[in-house]
Amino acid sequence: MKTSLTEMLKKNFGDLQISFLEETRMVINVPKEQILDVLAFIKDNGYDFFALVSCVDWINEEELELVYIVSSYLIKNKLDIIVKTRIPRANPIFRTITPVFPNAEPYEREIHELFGVKFEGHPRLIPLFLERNYKIPPFRKDFDSRKYVKDVFDAVPSIEEEK
Amino acid sequence: MRELELYFGPQHLGMVGNFSITLKVEGDKVVEATANPGYLHRGFEKLMEMRTWTQNFPLVCRINVIEPDHMEMVYAMAVEKLAGIEVPERANYIRAIVLELARVGSHLFGLWAYSNMLGFDTVAQWAMYHRDLILDLFEELCGGRVYHIYIWPGGVRRDFPKGFKDKIVKTLHTIGSCVPDYDNAFFNNRLFYKRSAGIGKISKEDAKRFGAVGQVLRAVGEKFDVRKIEPYAVYDKIDFDVPTREDGDAYSRIWVVRDEMIQSVHMIFKLLDQMPEGRVYNRIPNPFKWKVPEGETYVRVESSRGELGLYMVSDGGDKPYRVHFRTPSFTHGLIILEKLLRNASIADVGNIMISCYVVAPEIDR
Repeated sequence: MKTSLTEMLKKNFGDLQISFLEETRMVINVPKEQILDVLAFIKDNGYDFFALVSCVDWINEEELELVYIVSSYLIKNKLDIIVKTRIPRANPIFRTITPVFPNAEPYEREIHELFGVKFEGHPRLIPLFLERNYKIPPFRKDFDSRKYVKDVFDAVPSIEEEK
Repeated sequence: MRELELYFGPQHLGMVGNFSITLKVEGDKVVEATANPGYLHRGFEKLMEMRTWTQNFPLVCRINVIEPDHMEMVYAMAVEKLAGIEVPERANYIRAIVLELARVGSHLFGLWAYSNMLGFDTVAQWAMYHRDLILDLFEELCGGRVYHIYIWPGGVRRDFPKGFKDKIVKTLHTIGSCVPDYDNAFFNNRLFYKRSAGIGKISKEDAKRFGAVGQVLRAVGEKFDVRKIEPYAVYDKIDFDVPTREDGDAYSRIWVVRDEMIQSVHMIFKLLDQMPEGRVYNRIPNPFKWKVPEGETYVRVESSRGELGLYMVSDGGDKPYRVHFRTPSFTHGLIILEKLLRNASIADVGNIMISCYVVAPEIDR
């Protein structure tokens, strides 16, 4: 199963970088144009359980890495596939994958809010957790949460001072 | 009929936890529901990037208040995988026992929430009492009732105290002897059937399409369980069944919960019998100077709500570079709940939400 999927991916998409973290964890590095095709291909080949969209801020390389983790509802497919792609940090616009996996919708809302990635074509990119507006999206590495707390909440006068 | 907007929660009698839903209603029918989480967003994943590998445990267990052990387990497994630490055999057995105890405790809490919501106050009190007995066990084991910080990279923090095995057996017998009472008063009760059958029904295709796990998926007849697919701890050495139902409604989901509890209790008895002697932890380096090698990993365990995953990246430093928890309530509480609430009646909103086992801190993190 493992080798046949690797071969099929290579046959269909040319030079994808495929590696294995361990026996059951496959990592595919995909150019950003191909992401929807690769995910749809994986889904058609029995990997239909979409687990997670995550984002990693590689600040030194000026890139954001989007991580899609796909696994299977079939018990015989014992593989977790980690599909990764990188987008520029300065202009974080990317395509939504909700047409392929509808349950990516809340995850993409979360990434949009916390990392500032704009997903084009997403059905509703409304805020999920936060209620304030931040200049830098708060989960990026250059957002200093200690400094933010000091600036925002120390500015509020204490009860004694207000008297 | 006129459409009204109704705010359901966080301060609402039908709501368990700090979570709210904005309902668009027509009469008493829900036209559209928008889940509105964020009341418990503490940014744990960001805070973890500023703390060392072991300092994160007090944060990890607070992600799910009801069963912190599975959170600790998934975090410890990820660190072990990145750092290449082995776990002794006895520690694996202890982990499995603790995880199953946590599952029973969590299901009893869920049963409390559900029966209380339906008005079965007596059953709710029983369930809470029996959960408390399990918390007593945890208190003796590690000092904490709710948050345990017991599972640790390299094993568990300390061995079972003297006579602890007998206490587990005694407690489980106390709980098990009440199963006929639970059945008579609640599970075989006609009122429970009338209030839950056909409520919050989801088809097999939709459940898979929207990424359901746990009870929601097992209630549509899928035998999906990480303990079977990718056994961790010692689940490959133990024989157990994955209970399923076919209907996909609230009734099936609560029955799956009941059957799972019974499976877990049987499993604990077997684990206690097979448990070998030996060490319970392998020493980890000095936690303040511990640098975990560069790399990434995705680990998953079966929590009492379904598949719980953790994506972790290390840049070779003394702190994690990125952690992201894939919690089951995130999909159940947002996308599936919104779908199930469409065209439901207002009186069933709490029913559907609690039967999906949504826990607010798990969504917000």
